[in-house]
Amino acid sequence: MLSKSAARAFFLVGTATCSAALIGLTVDSFARIPGQTHAEKITPAVARGKDLWDSSNCMGCHTLLGEGAYYAPELTRVYDRRGPAFIRAMLRDPEKMYPGQRKMKNFHFKESEIDDLVEFLEWIGKMDLNGFPPKPDLVPLAVPMTAGTAFVAKAGNRPQIFNQMCIACHSLGGQGGNVGPALDLVGDRHDAEYIGRWLYDPLAVKVDSKMPKLPLSKDQIQELVAFLSQLKSEAKP
Amino acid sequence: MRYQSQRVAYWFFATCMALLSLQIIYGFIMAFAHAGYDVLHNVIPFHAARATHTNLLIMWLLSGFMGAAYYIIPEEVEREIYWPKLAYAQLVALVVVGVTAIIGFHFNWWEGRKFLEIPRPLDYLVVLDVLLFVANIGMTVLRGRRKTTTALVLYFGLLSMALLYLPGMIPTSNQTIDSYLRWWVVHLWVEGVWELIMGGILSFLLIKLTGIDREVVEKWLYVIVGLTFLSGILGTGHHYYYIGTPKYWFWVGGIFGALEPLAFLGMAIYAVSMARRGGRDHPNRIAMLWTVGCSIMSFVGGGFLGFAHTLPQVNLYTHGTLVTAMHAHMAFWGAYAMLVLAIISYAMPQLTGRKLYDKPAALLAFWASNIGMVAMTLAFAVAGVTQVYLERKVGLDFLAVQKEIEIHFVGLILAASLFTLGIACFIYNFVLYGLPVGVVAIDGREVPLAVAPAE
Repeated sequence: MLSKSAARAFFLVGTATCSAALIGLTVDSFARIPGQTHAEKITPAVARGKDLWDSSNCMGCHTLLGEGAYYAPELTRVYDRRGPAFIRAMLRDPEKMYPGQRKMKNFHFKESEIDDLVEFLEWIGKMDLNGFPPKPDLVPLAVPMTAGTAFVAKAGNRPQIFNQMCIACHSLGGQGGNVGPALDLVGDRHDAEYIGRWLYDPLAVKVDSKMPKLPLSKDQIQELVAFLSQLKSEAKP
Repeated sequence: MRYQSQRVAYWFFATCMALLSLQIIYGFIMAFAHAGYDVLHNVIPFHAARATHTNLLIMWLLSGFMGAAYYIIPEEVEREIYWPKLAYAQLVALVVVGVTAIIGFHFNWWEGRKFLEIPRPLDYLVVLDVLLFVANIGMTVLRGRRKTTTALVLYFGLLSMALLYLPGMIPTSNQTIDSYLRWWVVHLWVEGVWELIMGGILSFLLIKLTGIDREVVEKWLYVIVGLTFLSGILGTGHHYYYIGTPKYWFWVGGIFGALEPLAFLGMAIYAVSMARRGGRDHPNRIAMLWTVGCSIMSFVGGGFLGFAHTLPQVNLYTHGTLVTAMHAHMAFWGAYAMLVLAIISYAMPQLTGRKLYDKPAALLAFWASNIGMVAMTLAFAVAGVTQVYLERKVGLDFLAVQKEIEIHFVGLILAASLFTLGIACFIYNFVLYGLPVGVVAIDGREVPLAVAPAE
């Protein structure tokens, strides 16, 4: 039968071995982390962005690297997903960007602070995270392939600005947000001229529109008009 | 109760009751926000409620551990607390720092690192306070008439807890290193040294409640804390899969993380078998219920539900979702909240001389809170698994998924109401016990002063 001194020895040796192993692995990890996270790209702006991230307790709602609270979106790849223009607009006035939705506090950041946060998120987005976040692998099963949407469902056909900004609130082919109406067949409902005016300033077209005026350049609007106006049901012979 | 200075434990336990009540209120604020009723957004935005909820938990558990130590250590080492007045001062300091931090959260003052949101200047005060506490307990142990394994395990658990707070304070501008070190505090606390404290307190309770020979209880205590560290220390690796750290952590974290339930399983088998073998039929059966319940619920919440997402293949999808909240709620409840409620249930009749353990409220407290917590965990589980599926597998937008799972938070609120009823009963009973009294020892029997003349 196990004696008390043997039990104590098991505890002491096990703990000492594991502690030594953890410290050893930590030393090795610390040597590798700078390479894996591109630490050379941590500019003063990135460092200031991290300070703002911490001092505003962004993790109290969002996750970053999968860590934080589960009330607001995961932001690890937000720089690629939404693009800097969207992030800036969001930080200036969160409620305007997601009208009537789950609310984010307006922190009243200065423009320079918004720059720092964007730089911080850009740096985070470039890290090698061993495959996180995972790519959704059931999308082809879940998206109904109707005749009218089949050819636009491929992300490659879409302008980048559409995939970053519009999709945050609108869906196309079953993918995207549900804040605004789905954009399938929007070309049947509106012509290019109307879509152009709408994108330039939604409130000028419809006074009670909930969609904000977005930070879009003329070229981006043209690109979006060309894309959206061809989302039509196939012409009947 | 054998020593006058043990009475300070009462005030730590009373602090627990107050902070736990507040913690529950903030939990409701968050649950309502998740269910779509973020009505307090302008006063208490979600991130303030969240930080308050988790920090109150840490604070009341710390207060509970300290109270437990001030109660247990004198009896174990057979002497009064070395600096009894310091114990009171140290409680007041803890409460002042805690309340300052929580008020600060509501005015946007924080460090903003998950679970370590307390701003840096207050961090130093927390460390100082805990070190004073550890010094007080340490001197008591050092000058004690005997040194028991239970006392030493408890003491070294508390000392390591204070020391492990320090790595979390190393400054860095690399988010990955920041996160890496943060887990040294958070993980090595809850899946490491806190289990040492848990083992020490459980061992004390089992010795007192079952009358089993100390040698037997303490031998198995070594085995259990040995298992805890064997799995838990390298199990830290299960937080290092996807934060910008080398891939070998998949193996280290996966293997040792998967072993972590063994320690909790050991704890459960230990408590249940000791309780069954125990010869003495201790009248305080409600304390026994909390003790055994703690060991079982910690296995289910910490061990089993932790195992459910500790493997890297699974964690890739569950990392950063409500699945974590599911595991965390039952794990903290089972392992640490129930532990503190167990020692309070045991100590209160001893401290106050009133035997209220047969009251219906005491039994209702146990069952309502536990059934409520199981139901809460189920609500989180359904919400979490749905979130994983829709967001990570199907690729729906975050907010669209949150709309889909709002209804599960209505379920959560219902479950939490039952839980709250249980806690309210516990606190009601706590208040009925009244203030602690002095004691006398008659023929080696411990008789509280208040009841001594009547007996």
